Amino acid sequence: MNGPFDAKRPHLSDAKKPHLIEAAAPPPAATVVTAKKEPLPFGRGKQAQEAERTLNHIVDDFDDNPQAMQYFYELFRKVYCRGESIAMEGVRIGTTCIHAPEELVYAMGATPVRLCNGSYHYDQIGAEFMPAKSCSLVKATLGMLNSEDPVPRVGKLDLIVNPTTCDQKKKASAMMQDMGHPVFDLELPNVKESEASRVYWRRSVKQFAEAIRGVTGKRLTRKNLRAAIARTQRAERAFRVLDGFRLASPSVFLGKDAFLVVNAYFFDDLDRWCDAVEALNIELKERLGKAVRAAQKKAPRIIFTGSPPIFPNLKLPLLIERSGGVVVSDETCSANRMLYDMTAVDEWLVNDMVDSLADKYLKPCTCPIFTKNEDRRRRLLELVQKFQADGVVYQAFSGCQVYEMEQRSVAKTLNENGVPLLYVETDYSPDDEGQLSTRVEAFLESIKTRKRNRA
Amino acid sequence: MSRSLDTLPPGDARGAPLRRIARGIRRAVNEVDFNRFRFWLQLFFFALLVYGGFLGLDLGHSLPTFSCVYNGEGRPGMCYLAPLQHQLAQPWPKLFGEAGITVLSGFLVFFLWFIALNKGWCGFVCPLGAIQDWLTALRKRSGFRFARYSQATFESLTWIKYVLLALMFLIPLGIGAGYVSHEMSAPYCMICPARMIVPLFAMDFKQLAVDFSSSPKLVLTTLGALTTGTFLIGSFVKKRFWCFFCPMSAFHYLLSKPALFRLVKDGSKCTRCGDCYSVCDLQIKEIADDVKSPQIMMDDCIVCLKCVAACPEEGALKACFAGMTVFESTEEGFIKRMEKGAKA
Repeated sequence: MNGPFDAKRPHLSDAKKPHLIEAAAPPPAATVVTAKKEPLPFGRGKQAQEAERTLNHIVDDFDDNPQAMQYFYELFRKVYCRGESIAMEGVRIGTTCIHAPEELVYAMGATPVRLCNGSYHYDQIGAEFMPAKSCSLVKATLGMLNSEDPVPRVGKLDLIVNPTTCDQKKKASAMMQDMGHPVFDLELPNVKESEASRVYWRRSVKQFAEAIRGVTGKRLTRKNLRAAIARTQRAERAFRVLDGFRLASPSVFLGKDAFLVVNAYFFDDLDRWCDAVEALNIELKERLGKAVRAAQKKAPRIIFTGSPPIFPNLKLPLLIERSGGVVVSDETCSANRMLYDMTAVDEWLVNDMVDSLADKYLKPCTCPIFTKNEDRRRRLLELVQKFQADGVVYQAFSGCQVYEMEQRSVAKTLNENGVPLLYVETDYSPDDEGQLSTRVEAFLESIKTRKRNRA
Repeated sequence: MSRSLDTLPPGDARGAPLRRIARGIRRAVNEVDFNRFRFWLQLFFFALLVYGGFLGLDLGHSLPTFSCVYNGEGRPGMCYLAPLQHQLAQPWPKLFGEAGITVLSGFLVFFLWFIALNKGWCGFVCPLGAIQDWLTALRKRSGFRFARYSQATFESLTWIKYVLLALMFLIPLGIGAGYVSHEMSAPYCMICPARMIVPLFAMDFKQLAVDFSSSPKLVLTTLGALTTGTFLIGSFVKKRFWCFFCPMSAFHYLLSKPALFRLVKDGSKCTRCGDCYSVCDLQIKEIADDVKSPQIMMDDCIVCLKCVAACPEEGALKACFAGMTVFESTEEGFIKRMEKGAKA
């Protein structure tokens, strides 16, 4: 473990950028450039405004949203627009990537919180830490962690586990430490096919378990790990059922809601989240029975891939669905890749459970940080086929080199299989929305023409 | 595809009553508590192959599994390896003359038995396999974790079964040609753990003795005692320890091309999550990594179908009989089995 608290705070003190922290800081401390020392209501901060705008689009731009989605709309309003605290009791462990096995965290009595952030406001703050052309997600996460009272208000973190995935996340580790956060580097191999990488990763995961034990003081036992797996199993089952509804054509459930639901998993209480998704599944089943349509019958069905959409940056999926398409599935680490895969255990003893968990977090992963991306391309083709998709939209955050680099091979594979692809390089800034909307509309239009010509 | 009913539109649940029943059966099969089912089936076959003889059952002399010949009264038929080694040890003029017909007809019957179940004989029928699984259950109950070979060890040990198979042919042929002593007859049987262990279940302890009558017999029976000891300890710490070295397994594999019962993989549905590999008793990596070959049964495979039961992807792995799917991986089946495991 790294000795965290003795780290000095970086020179970029908050005083240097008062105009940037107003939304993150608690209301009394907030300042505005013009009205000096006058507390600004939380809801008027940049962060809250940004969230409000996205939520309004999600809720108001579509008629007849499922009733059960209200829980999630309200959750995001509460957390992002009103800045209410959602801090869990006990030890809280932040994760910066889906590679951190959360079952281990739950088993030892702590609560995991996924820190990956989607806010443009924090992206701007975080820009100080990273070179100009860097990934918005990493910058936003750093920006949030450097704030006095970051939103979502998940409370003080007892540990941040940072899997050594892409270069930017790797280098973020030391920066987070400099901000005063205790950080554990979870060592992830660069290759996932070899047996050596499996062995290495299994050992890393065991070290992670040790690190959690260091924070919570609790031992990992057969009983508590089993119970933790049972809890995440429930979430995975609920997710898979939800995912199943997206097979329906015409669609009964939209991608913008799906992203929101899975984004809520980042910070929501696990059991409450499961309750809400299960309720949603019941409603969707009814809707399917009554043939309620969430989109037009001939709406182009889109698979979303690439850099993860994280609230409030649901810009691109929202654009697709506001323009008449439907995101029927995705291959991103903020949604499908996070909850789709399930753990198979042969012998429910601690060692076998930990090893099986480790495998789940490494083997099926289609993250572009690995040397090869054959699995990702196969996965995309499978999704296209299974969800009867008409095209793929590929989002790459500018500066997210690994996704940018994989564009070529993914495009080639999809092209060979006759699947249209729209590659979009973007970031958290709202500036390119107009231009993107033109491109998305043209793409959807071309798919519709294609379908008409085929019919 | 038998996707969970939760996700099916209600209209789909209708249809002809016969089809509905068929779908119901299919669902029940695919969502079965597989380990328990397999346990009872293995117990059934164990009883049949160890005590069937007492009921007057006779299945012939060419069974492709360890219905051990040394379990005199109890066996309902004979493990083919014993008659094979005896037949091969005949003097060459006889072997390549009239006796050749007997050898060939014996092999043909063995082959027909074999292709019906393929290596399913190992995973479901073999009494020695069942004993290994019981030792595994005992270890599990005592809370010890299993041992695994490293990939390198796996690769360096995997050819042993072929050497044993070759010796099993060469030594008897050598006897027939006069190069090897008659005392070496049925060499594999002498070192097979089944010889000592299976008769024990019929209260026959004679095979535990070491034979001092001649030096080849002494060597072979001593080796037999050693393999039996290794078998017992090995199977306690390592799942299906002996299968990895079993010449019957190698023999099966060499003949498996036309088998009717098959393990089939649809690579396009595979996410390479490795769930199948992590439950595999024989540590077969290809089951998870190979997304190109539909015929995925490797030489070490015992077709226990645990991988199918542990696959969460609809139809990615299946067991087929003569092209018909008998049991396939389903999301719902996977979830049910794993939820049960986590709750128990």
